[in-house]
Amino acid sequence: MNPTRRTVLRASTAAGAAAALSGCVTAGGSDPAEQATGAVTDENPLGVPADTDLEVVMFDGGYGDEYTRHAVTLYEERHPGAAVTHEGLQKVGEVLQPRFVAGEPPDVVDNTGAGRLDIAALADAGQLTDLAELLDAPSLDDPSVPVRDTLLPGVVEDGTLDGTAYFLNYSYVVWGVWYSRSLFDEHGWTYPATWDDMIALCGEIKAAGIAPWTWQGKYPEYMMDPLQSLAAKAGGLELVRAVDNLEPDAWRQDGVLAAADAIHRLVTGGHLLEGSEGLSHTEAQNAWSGGQAAFIPCGSWLEGEQQGVTPEGFDMTLAALPALTAADALPDGAVQGASSESFLVPAQALNPRGGLEYLRCLFSGEVARGFAESARAMPVVKGATEGLDLAPGLASVAAALDTAGEHVFGYKYRTWYPELAKAVDDATGELLTGRADPEQWADRIQQAADQTAADDTIAKHER
Amino acid sequence: MTRLSNGALHLVLAAWAALVTLPLAWAVLSSLKTDAEIFDSPWTLPSTPHWENWARAWNEASIGRYLLNTVIVVGGALALVMLLGALCAYCLARYEFPGNRLVYYALVAGMLFPVFLALVPLFFVVDQLGMLGTYHGLILVYAAYALPFTVFFLHAFFRSLPSATAEAAFLDGCSHTGVFFRVMLPMARPGMVSVGIFNFLGLWNQYLLPLVLNPDPDRYVLAQGLAALAVSQGYRSDFSGLFAGLIIAILPVLLAYLLFQRQIRAGLTAGAVR
Amino acid sequence: MRHGKYRFLIGALAPPLLLYGVFVVSPYAQAFHLALTDWNGLSAEAGFVGLANFAELWGDPLFLAALRNNGLLLLAVPLATIALALFFAACLTGGGARRKGVRGSGLYRVVYFFPQLLSVAILGVLFQFVYTPGDGLLNGLLGAVGLDALQRSWLADPATALPAVAAVMVWSAVGFYVVLFTAAMDSIPADVVEAATLDGAGRFTLFRRITLPLVRDSVQVAYVYLGILALDGFALVQIMTVGPGGPDNATEVMGLTLYRAAFTYGEFGYAAAMGVTLFFITLTLTALALRATRSERVELA
Repeated sequence: MNPTRRTVLRASTAAGAAAALSGCVTAGGSDPAEQATGAVTDENPLGVPADTDLEVVMFDGGYGDEYTRHAVTLYEERHPGAAVTHEGLQKVGEVLQPRFVAGEPPDVVDNTGAGRLDIAALADAGQLTDLAELLDAPSLDDPSVPVRDTLLPGVVEDGTLDGTAYFLNYSYVVWGVWYSRSLFDEHGWTYPATWDDMIALCGEIKAAGIAPWTWQGKYPEYMMDPLQSLAAKAGGLELVRAVDNLEPDAWRQDGVLAAADAIHRLVTGGHLLEGSEGLSHTEAQNAWSGGQAAFIPCGSWLEGEQQGVTPEGFDMTLAALPALTAADALPDGAVQGASSESFLVPAQALNPRGGLEYLRCLFSGEVARGFAESARAMPVVKGATEGLDLAPGLASVAAALDTAGEHVFGYKYRTWYPELAKAVDDATGELLTGRADPEQWADRIQQAADQTAADDTIAKHER
Repeated sequence: MTRLSNGALHLVLAAWAALVTLPLAWAVLSSLKTDAEIFDSPWTLPSTPHWENWARAWNEASIGRYLLNTVIVVGGALALVMLLGALCAYCLARYEFPGNRLVYYALVAGMLFPVFLALVPLFFVVDQLGMLGTYHGLILVYAAYALPFTVFFLHAFFRSLPSATAEAAFLDGCSHTGVFFRVMLPMARPGMVSVGIFNFLGLWNQYLLPLVLNPDPDRYVLAQGLAALAVSQGYRSDFSGLFAGLIIAILPVLLAYLLFQRQIRAGLTAGAVR
Repeated sequence: MRHGKYRFLIGALAPPLLLYGVFVVSPYAQAFHLALTDWNGLSAEAGFVGLANFAELWGDPLFLAALRNNGLLLLAVPLATIALALFFAACLTGGGARRKGVRGSGLYRVVYFFPQLLSVAILGVLFQFVYTPGDGLLNGLLGAVGLDALQRSWLADPATALPAVAAVMVWSAVGFYVVLFTAAMDSIPADVVEAATLDGAGRFTLFRRITLPLVRDSVQVAYVYLGILALDGFALVQIMTVGPGGPDNATEVMGLTLYRAAFTYGEFGYAAAMGVTLFFITLTLTALALRATRSERVELA
């Protein structure tokens, strides 16, 4: 499943369920069962016991479970004496919560989807294995490179809670602006380098009888992504940290205000497809696929989502946001990105070493390449998409990531403070309909952020 | 004069009829189009009817499975609530005992409270009973929440039944249980039919309870499945399939209504008006 | 007393009351308790906070917006629905029983009931398309009859979003009450109507003086049901509106606020306090509605 924010709201019931259930998890837990180990050799760096069976429970969502099955094949080749049970589920938490409480969890879990368990609560309850050993183990593709160094930047950090790596995400999502390359070639347009160029191009596009932008108006967060990307590019990681850490006047920083103003110019310039503010994500995306608008903001899952309705030769392309100012803190090509699809090894597993080994197989180049092809999404393994004949959208995502290099950034406030996120989305909706100007937008959000900061009942996080 | 106003009257009535049917007709039409047709020309007839949308909704979007789940849950709950509700209403209507009024009002009060007040604790009650996401859990909850209306409706009905037959049955040595099942229940049949239909409609369309209590997509009921489809949980957008799913979901209810509409109207006069 | 009465009563009443007690009464009772705590749904214990949650409610702009919107729905939906339903019912029955209604009234009665067959989920989905900006069903219809000036993004405009939701409620409810009221009007004795007609009463007078007073009971029932409907609105809003609950909380309803607090923010105690507040509001309004309409009763001797 894609880590769209809308899934979070949509699935809020199940998330609530998981949150509630994990209350029992923290309370429960029995004595650890006997855990098998084997001899550590070069061939077997994780000391996997030879004939011990392995049970993996995987989330079977939008990305399918082909890649997790692929890793099973790899594991079985390496450990012929072990029988591997693979189970693909939609509601992982529902099924596994009682097993965690009973102290009989499987050996690997893909804790993803609407029914996932609260990983922080699991970690607090001592239910998770520290993955440091796996990260330091030699990778399957090249024994001289540890697993840690085969992963894209930020992936290990994404899975780290209070200094310990408890889970690893598999899919890498990038947020940016999408356009049809064929449409642009046809009109001789090129993707703008700066926001001023963007506004100028919007004028040209409009003159050609096409709306320059559309957006998923019913879910304003879609437009918040380009806005906060512009802000991050202008103000750098310091700006991002200030926002996430709820610092005073974080939302009134120059970069944030300039970014809001930039987006607001789309409104004042009349560059939005009429009625976009009332469109659901599917409606807006279909309007874009149908050629009614030139640009749409979205994450890298868009290509998969639009598979059925994308016209032949549309050639969809994701681009990083243009530079906001001439003096941006982050270089051109910096993108907003984050990983998802969380894999973990339960601490009370019967075969935790096998679990780690399974992850070593899963995060290998071979499995990752298969994932890119079958799921049309970016795996977190470096260079996994090189040399592959990728679908145009995914190719552009890979290229964007390549250009960005180390300069991938992400905000945390949305997961840390959902109430603030709602205030942000409400204000952004108003900004995009012209009912609020950038100043009012910032004031509203700053007020909500201050309230969150002052509320003792909300657990605070720092980065 | 009368002729003229009659014409105007017809116009108004027909206008509302159109207003009511139009969205439905449009949904039927859209279910036979391709996605591109829905977006490019929402107003035209499909070039050729795409029945495969229906097949796709049935198979891939699991509408078939949701339908089966709904039938199981609603069927079970309906049977349960009819039996328990009738028993309960009968006892409260035909027997004097201490606390009778209290029980009656406590039950009927349940009808006035919006369900979602109880949602949060209900989730934990069901969870603690280990019934989250199970058929029997959902059946019991459905039945419990349909009970107040059932009792309210049938209470009035049992009151209105003549006592003579029951007296005669008692004199013949019939037990209390026997009188209920063999004498009173058959006499209350029209009431049972109409309250059954109301419950069927209400339970069939129940959205809130399964949303919270039934998190397993394999056990989704229709309302949940369609809502999930609508916000496109699915990986790809599939509007034609969504419309096909909508129509499939409506059809059984429509059929039931057309078959029973006389009883529904009779039931309305018999019960709710009192 | 007849033999075995109490044994029968206990056997017959215990299962339904047990069911009701476990799944209906106990959750409500727990909600009352939770409303006094700061329980987050995660921890094993909950801290007692007294009435703090209730105090917080009155400073929560979201809850106040929801309260306002539910209040508006409560004013508009029952009134519009009942007015429309009475009008259609009177047309269909000719204002009283056994007077011939308009031709095709049987067909109308069937057709009008259609929306009642749709679940809220389906309603929400369907009307999403009706209100689609651009060439949605409603805008298309307006365009077809030359009212282009009225076309707009119905659900994205704070001025029209709530009315749009209310319209769906009315659209779906009218049919049921048409059937209810026609049933009531059909049972008005023919001689009453005839006598009035002989006295020269016109159609409107007949309706006002004879029909309306005689269906008063049905109207009262309708008012209570529709009031409860208007205080809910959760499913419709959640599926259909911007946000959901938007734009900018223009369609926020209490059910949604409660749902979000409990299941997205993990503030179960606070959500329960909302639930309890809503409970008392509903109770009070129901009692008031019943009292207000009870006053005069027309007896048919």
